[in-house]
Amino acid sequence: MDRGAIAFAAMVVIVVVAAALNGYRHYEELLQQYTHIHHVEAAIVGGASSSGSRVLLQGAGATFPLPQLLEWIRLFMETHPHIVVSYRGVGSGAGQSMFFERTIDFAGSDPPLTHRQWLEYRGLVMQVPYLLGAVVVTYNLPGFHGTLNLSGRVLALIYSGKIVYWDDPRIQRLNPGYRFPHKPIVVVYRADASGTQYIFTLFLHKSAPRLWPWSLVSKVPKYPVMASGRARGGKGNPGVAQIVLSTPYSIGFVEWGYALEKHMPIAAIENSAGVFVKPSIESIEAAAREAFKHLPKDPRADFSDDLTYIVYAPGRESYPIASWTHLILWTRYPCTKARALAQFLTWIAEEGYRHMVPGYAPIPEPMRGLLLKAAHIIVEGCVRG
Amino acid sequence: MRSRSDRLFLLSLLPPAATIVAAMMLMIYVFVYHSVPVLVREGLTFFASSRWSPSTSLRSAFYGILPAIYGTLVTSGIAVAIALPLSLSMTLFLNEVAPPRIRAFFSTLVDMMAGLPTIVYGLWGLFVLAPLLQRLVMEPLHRYLGFLPLFSCPPISGYSVLTAGVILAIMVMPYTFALMNEAYASIPLTYREAVLAMGASRYEASRILLSMIRPAIVGSVLLGLGRAASETVAVTLVIGNTPTISPCLFSSGYTIASLIATQYGEAPLYPFMVSALYGAGLFLLVLGLALNTVGLALVTRWRVRMGVSA
Repeated sequence: MDRGAIAFAAMVVIVVVAAALNGYRHYEELLQQYTHIHHVEAAIVGGASSSGSRVLLQGAGATFPLPQLLEWIRLFMETHPHIVVSYRGVGSGAGQSMFFERTIDFAGSDPPLTHRQWLEYRGLVMQVPYLLGAVVVTYNLPGFHGTLNLSGRVLALIYSGKIVYWDDPRIQRLNPGYRFPHKPIVVVYRADASGTQYIFTLFLHKSAPRLWPWSLVSKVPKYPVMASGRARGGKGNPGVAQIVLSTPYSIGFVEWGYALEKHMPIAAIENSAGVFVKPSIESIEAAAREAFKHLPKDPRADFSDDLTYIVYAPGRESYPIASWTHLILWTRYPCTKARALAQFLTWIAEEGYRHMVPGYAPIPEPMRGLLLKAAHIIVEGCVRG
Repeated sequence: MRSRSDRLFLLSLLPPAATIVAAMMLMIYVFVYHSVPVLVREGLTFFASSRWSPSTSLRSAFYGILPAIYGTLVTSGIAVAIALPLSLSMTLFLNEVAPPRIRAFFSTLVDMMAGLPTIVYGLWGLFVLAPLLQRLVMEPLHRYLGFLPLFSCPPISGYSVLTAGVILAIMVMPYTFALMNEAYASIPLTYREAVLAMGASRYEASRILLSMIRPAIVGSVLLGLGRAASETVAVTLVIGNTPTISPCLFSSGYTIASLIATQYGEAPLYPFMVSALYGAGLFLLVLGLALNTVGLALVTRWRVRMGVSA
């Protein structure tokens, strides 16, 4: 070994030792953070800086609302030239951590803040469910025309590997008019952690709690069917869609808008009233109306279990795998930013819902009060300077 | 005694060189720093367990990356197993048999292949290669050789460990070929003349010359393995992404790189998951450094022995 290599190795050793020592401290910090709740007291202002006379509002987070948000931002900026809004789809988790690190002004998140997070930031943080979507079950069944009927029970059996073939009597019974082929079902799921997956497994749990225990409700569930070798994971909606499209006798789930765009067949799902419903703006809004009855009416409140109300909501018209996504906001901003943000929120409530992108549904009229209330709080509590 | 202008010249070139070293050190630092929490928490079971179960509850969150390590090794292994004979025969074909014009055509082609963006390979794999392999390769193999564990599971979809290996082979081939070709072409003429003067046929001569570049071949295999192990986009699109370990090549799997790529966006929601992904990245970093160091050392040593200046 020559001298250069020895010097390099020594340098690496020093760096590794230093990193390991600091890393251990990092571990203890994380452990603290995950086990204890520190109520954050200080007023939080600032965040991403604004330049010149234009006000810059930066957001990031869930990718699910991205197409709708970009459309709204485009329209909003046409009529509000002094405000620049940006939103990056980085995933709900990454969006939340950017928000709490104050690199952005607002976050988009599919799940609400957990109870623990809410306790920690109580009074400083607001959440608004503001956009409805749905998870749809799609399939590739050569020779089948019409609409496939499925229930949460049957889907739970398919995703736990207990129903193996398409001609299983439990599928046959829901679709009496068609003779299914004796082919094994290829079960497709999302390989990446995603809100879509959480909603889907939450639906399975709520509609068939015995077959689908709470432990299998997750953004990254371990589907029992994985062990059978008949399961495939795709990355994102495009990945799942492509696998389903190119694999005969497969079944999978994607976001509604994605299935519409790709002209994929969409199954009708049995809701809690026993009716088979396909996703539509009306059936998704119906579910949200039912769920809103259980929601807090103040954006500063705890929303941590709000998804359990909209998924498998009661009502004959409700589509059972509907969901909403959240905006996460501070209660206090510097005044220029606060006014701009309040304008944006008000604009969404009053104008935005008239410009919907296919695949999304507006929240029902009464829920829009949450957006207006949040806008009001932000303006009232703004910090001068 | 250096002149003044030379000293200035040296000073002006020092910062860029130092920047590269600093970037490398910072990278190692960051990966170690962020991996420590998961390693303290789980110890070496982090590398040895196949249970990957993120959870919002601290007690039940557990991350084991064995399936990803296994998938990385198997796909890279398949890639090199395919790329090695391909690049060897390409090397012989171009140096021994092909007329110069064809030689130029092929080397341009291979250089171009090396430069293509990886997402291009990925999309092609997703839309074309996976369904094609399923129909033309996996199904016949399963039908006639299904008794072997390697082909025992029914190929119900093209998105599998095998497909990932094949696409990696196509991506790695230009690199292994370039290294072998360079080594073969740079064998000093005297050796070749000596071999031919002994009355060896072309075939015999090639075999002798090939045996002379064996260290370079091993080196290029190691470098190819390093490249294959770290490839992300294309693999993520075709491997099926399940944290399972199966001896069967038609089942789906995970690689370390595809694990990180698919899980990163939501990882901050789960305790210690970001650290787990950094830990997986650290493993890849160490593996890559080891393969590249040994591979480069072999190639360099061979160059020195042959008296070839690189």
